[in-house]
Amino acid sequence: MILVGLLLLVALVLPGLPLGEWRAFLLDTAQFAFLISALALAWDLLARTGQLSLAHGAFFGLGAYAAALAAPALGTLPALLVGGVVAGASSLFLGLATLRLHGMYFAIATLAFSEVMRTLVLKAPFTGGAIGLPVQPAFGGAFPLGGYYLAVGVLALAAGISLLLSRSRLHYAMAATRQGEAVARVLGVPVIRVKLLAFMISAFLAGLAGGVYAMKTLFLSPYDAFGLGRAVEALVIPIFGGLYTTTGPLLGGLIIVSLETWLRLRIGEGYLVVYGVILVLTILFLPRGLVSLFHRKGAGHA
Amino acid sequence: MLSVQGLCKRFGGVTAANEVSLQVAPGEILAVIGPNGAGKSTLLNLLSGLLRPDEGRIEFLGQEITHAPPEVRTWKGLGRAFQIVQPFPEMSVWENLLVGALYGKPSTPRKVAERVVAEVIELTGLAPKAQTPAGELTLLEDKRLELARALCTQPRLLLLDEVMAGLRPSEALEAVALVRRIRDSGVTVLFIEHLMPVVRALADRVVVMDYGRVIAEGPYDAVAANPKVREAYLGRAQ
Amino acid sequence: MLDGRLAYWRLGSPSPQTMELLLQTLINGILAAGIYALVASGLALAVGVVGIVNFAHGEFTMIGAFIAYLLFVGTGLDPFLSLGLAALVLFGVGAITYLGLIRPVLAAPELNQMLLTFGLSVALQNIALLLFGADTRVVSTSYQGATLSLGGLSFGVPPLLAFGLSVVILGALYGFLDRTRLGLAVRAVAQNRLAPGLLGIETQRVYLLAFGLSAALAGVAGVMLSVMLYASPTVGFAYTLKAFAIIVMAGLGNLRGVVPAAIILALAEALVSTYLPGGGGWVEAVFFLVIFVALTWRSWRAA
Repeated sequence: MILVGLLLLVALVLPGLPLGEWRAFLLDTAQFAFLISALALAWDLLARTGQLSLAHGAFFGLGAYAAALAAPALGTLPALLVGGVVAGASSLFLGLATLRLHGMYFAIATLAFSEVMRTLVLKAPFTGGAIGLPVQPAFGGAFPLGGYYLAVGVLALAAGISLLLSRSRLHYAMAATRQGEAVARVLGVPVIRVKLLAFMISAFLAGLAGGVYAMKTLFLSPYDAFGLGRAVEALVIPIFGGLYTTTGPLLGGLIIVSLETWLRLRIGEGYLVVYGVILVLTILFLPRGLVSLFHRKGAGHA
Repeated sequence: MLSVQGLCKRFGGVTAANEVSLQVAPGEILAVIGPNGAGKSTLLNLLSGLLRPDEGRIEFLGQEITHAPPEVRTWKGLGRAFQIVQPFPEMSVWENLLVGALYGKPSTPRKVAERVVAEVIELTGLAPKAQTPAGELTLLEDKRLELARALCTQPRLLLLDEVMAGLRPSEALEAVALVRRIRDSGVTVLFIEHLMPVVRALADRVVVMDYGRVIAEGPYDAVAANPKVREAYLGRAQ
Repeated sequence: MLDGRLAYWRLGSPSPQTMELLLQTLINGILAAGIYALVASGLALAVGVVGIVNFAHGEFTMIGAFIAYLLFVGTGLDPFLSLGLAALVLFGVGAITYLGLIRPVLAAPELNQMLLTFGLSVALQNIALLLFGADTRVVSTSYQGATLSLGGLSFGVPPLLAFGLSVVILGALYGFLDRTRLGLAVRAVAQNRLAPGLLGIETQRVYLLAFGLSAALAGVAGVMLSVMLYASPTVGFAYTLKAFAIIVMAGLGNLRGVVPAAIILALAEALVSTYLPGGGGWVEAVFFLVIFVALTWRSWRAA
């Protein structure tokens, strides 16, 4: 928890530090890292109920597009909210449909959902299709660090919700749902409500992150926003960092995104290979993620 | 307390429950016995809500629960312990029980739930293992956990599914004593069992099933002497 | 053969052209089914026999496609002739993957297995991307565009060859599974998978064989794909998903049902491609929609 607070503090003051000629690049990378870490935190929330989604690329993308389309009419903050809500609403549908699916079937269904969404966005007349959608910067560009602090805000929100949930009663409901759904029901856990609530919160956060992302990149294309790359980032980071924790996705996100950015500079297309390799290595050698290095066996997650 | 009328459940060509009717009085320990495949587990699943009946009616504490989902039945006070114990492996024993205590009844405050856990953990003798991850328990401890978890939901009626399976005789004795303590604390018990000595020791009344039907009812000795019951277990004489 | 006018008489009065279009579409669909059936059969072996949800299966196809492409570009060897070599290479790749990556996680929770193969998929795709770039590499054989005309319908030669070869290969596969002792062992393992801790040497060998075969089948499909479509780093990914859809439709463990399911899928795709306006872009989406609906509907019905 302290680590989380520290990281957020650093995020807050980063623009004020003397960063020299690297400033613009660092801030840009940091902003990206915050958003992807927020996405990872969101994914982790849903994973706590045993639902391992491949649809978070879609939630991210829906939030991005919805916010981008709403911003000219509503202004930045309401538009971001709209993005989150749209993502959340779509997750309600997906959550309901997949209530009785588990494991591989659930994963494939969410992936199918994601791809259908992507095609819909691609084909819809008002989204600019394959050519893409230009997006206004946050607050119309009035605050140079506006986008940056929005990203910090989303990250803080995601981390905050993640921490809050770990300490609430809901934590037990989610863990029970994940570790034995049928038994949980017989013990009185309102499993359906728990799963759907987790879905909606998770998707809302992902959508928020997507919206801020849109305002950062100033240009959206379905292949970027909805790409499988986002879904992969969303799941590899928590696994690498440590599932069902807040520190895990946060730390993991910052590390991996930094790595990704560095690689992108060096090798261009194909930087995603780092995700694949990290995932494989993590599963083989560090299945409980980074945080397991900090905790002794037995303590840790529930 | 529990009233079952004309319960039927078919799976394709097999009628697992055929016009099953029985009553459970408050405070009693009722055993359901019968040869393999008699439909006992199906009955339990129908009672706890994991299966929906095709016909019939289940009333609990005066309310109809025939089609209610499992969570709702638990909230109303109908609890269940499974035969094959599935602890929440990554949580400690305490936390496993806490799940039952927190959610067994709607809106249970945390403090109240923790008190319930403390009581139940004493009652079931699990206190020394409170912090152990539930995935690391022995079979007997597993069974105790299962009972304890169900007890934490504060049931009025507890459904037990062959809890003695796999226990050594000494362990079975302990389990019998535990079930008696549970009844003495105010919980009515309906249990399925194969081991006749356990049934004789525990049950106030016995219901016998065969091929999905109830074929006999009454105190143990009466039922044991019943020719139909013997036939069911030993096969039809030529 | 099927004369358009005869069909017209049988079905009422749609015009001969419509009939021909329909038949042509159906034929294209069936011919395409061969590749799907190969890939799906391979996946069915991995999932059904070894019990591993292999998200990287399509990448074996991708590797096969690139092998064919490289051989063609390097030595002029016709892809259909390099099938055997590709099959061997991919069997080896599959075996190595099994020994190095799969076997260590057989005892781990299913989640870990899925993540591992998913990671492998991402890694392989991107390694290919790094090595070859994102461009699609087409193998242009001399008979690329050749077609066979029968009764007003045209059969593309490459698809026809691919279909024919698929039939032969799958026939051999089922013959192996049904009639040889080793094949029987494979099927037995599929029916009755032991806890991983109890794996005897025999079962381990069966796993190795099954996974190697799985990769080989996918690789062979990849070779054909290089001719009929192209070789590219991401070409395999779509086939992974389609293969999953097929085996889910056929039912897990049902090795036989894979072929009919593959045919249905291929036909559906062909029909959508022809009859839905803007066909091409929608094919993928319709496919995924069908998977989604099938999965969710079945899950609710089973309740």
